Amino acid sequence: MGIMKKYILLLLILPGLTLTGAFAQDGEKEDIPVRAPFESGYLIDNQTTQIPIEGTLEYVIQHKFGTMENGLSDVWGIYSPGANVRLGLNYVPVNNFQVGLGLTKKNMYTDLNAKWTILEQTRENTIPLAVALYGSLAIDGRNKNTFGTGKVWHSGEGTKEFDIVFSDRFSYFSQLIVGRKFTHWLSLQAGASFTHYNMVGSVYDHDKIGLHFNGRIRFSMQSSFIFNYDVPLKIKSISEQREWVDHPKPNLAFGVEISTSTHAFQIYMGTADGIIPQDIMMWNQNDWTDNGLAIGFTITRLWNF
Amino acid sequence: MAFTLPQDKEYGGEWDIPEEYQNMENPYTGDKSLDRVGKMLYTKHCKSCHGSKGEGDGPKAASMSVKIRDLASSEVQEQSDGVLYYQSIIGRDDMPNYEKKIPVEEDRWAVINYIRSLKEK
Repeated sequence: MGIMKKYILLLLILPGLTLTGAFAQDGEKEDIPVRAPFESGYLIDNQTTQIPIEGTLEYVIQHKFGTMENGLSDVWGIYSPGANVRLGLNYVPVNNFQVGLGLTKKNMYTDLNAKWTILEQTRENTIPLAVALYGSLAIDGRNKNTFGTGKVWHSGEGTKEFDIVFSDRFSYFSQLIVGRKFTHWLSLQAGASFTHYNMVGSVYDHDKIGLHFNGRIRFSMQSSFIFNYDVPLKIKSISEQREWVDHPKPNLAFGVEISTSTHAFQIYMGTADGIIPQDIMMWNQNDWTDNGLAIGFTITRLWNF
Repeated sequence: MAFTLPQDKEYGGEWDIPEEYQNMENPYTGDKSLDRVGKMLYTKHCKSCHGSKGEGDGPKAASMSVKIRDLASSEVQEQSDGVLYYQSIIGRDDMPNYEKKIPVEEDRWAVINYIRSLKEK
């Protein structure tokens, strides 16, 4: 499995390095990046290739209510106990590189994340695409007794039990994002990701590869329709199971974004109750075809230093 | 009792514009391709204080300590593009600096061109 992971990491990084080299040779005419392909670094549950200018601090509030299946009785999930919230801070120490920290209610995750926009699409199309890498490390902060008696290892020689250690709480998400601003009103992105949990229940996989598709359709000066679709793939060759039990379901979300000079507001309906990407790709059991949609919103605030 | 009514607010004092800005040429004068860009940037960054037509009546205008001039007025429009650039992009006090939010020169001038277009309306 270690070799597999290195291979996937290489696949994620190589295209970026190759493209950087190719376009550097075309640097005779100055061609500057396109105007804001997205209004924010966030697009519902996904990241965009957009990173604010160097020295920017960003505060993020992400909130999801419970599912809408109970209708008026819990006001379409607003009164539901199944809500989730994340508070995050991001900082841009150098242009095109951002680091972040977040706290999420579900599983008491603390996440550390980083995003690097390797390539920016340019106005004269010298570089036709934006390419970014995003990585997140999350720590499950729940009380130790949440995890039961500890880890169990089954082998031909019987069963061994181990205590939970700190690193068992870790989960990782790495993603390659490719985007293009097609017109002033249409920007689309596609992505591929690798998710790993250091510890999962015996009927689950530690690893999950996923595909992502998202975008924005601007319909006024400040407002856009936004959507994302994330698909955890069923890949037998990286699965530890003969048959999948509760394989994670695709995450669909769609909504509206309104942006101002320093804020982006996104209000949407989506399926995943998780907020950090590894949780969405590994644990989403809500199904948008079966009453699994919930209302959510994201608010970002920028400060320039 | 002392109340300050919106109509009691006064305009800010004279601007101290550095010479390099007073004589600055607008390289994008009359560039119609920037019309939409200027309007979008104005809507995003300026409208909340200056209002949709530049009349100084945006939703945040009331919280300013000074009265905001009508961008279509002769006091504003008589100034050179370079002076408008300094006032709009460099700013002072309640008028924030936009060098980081609008980092590209072409886009900054698109905003100035849009302010010019308010005169015609």
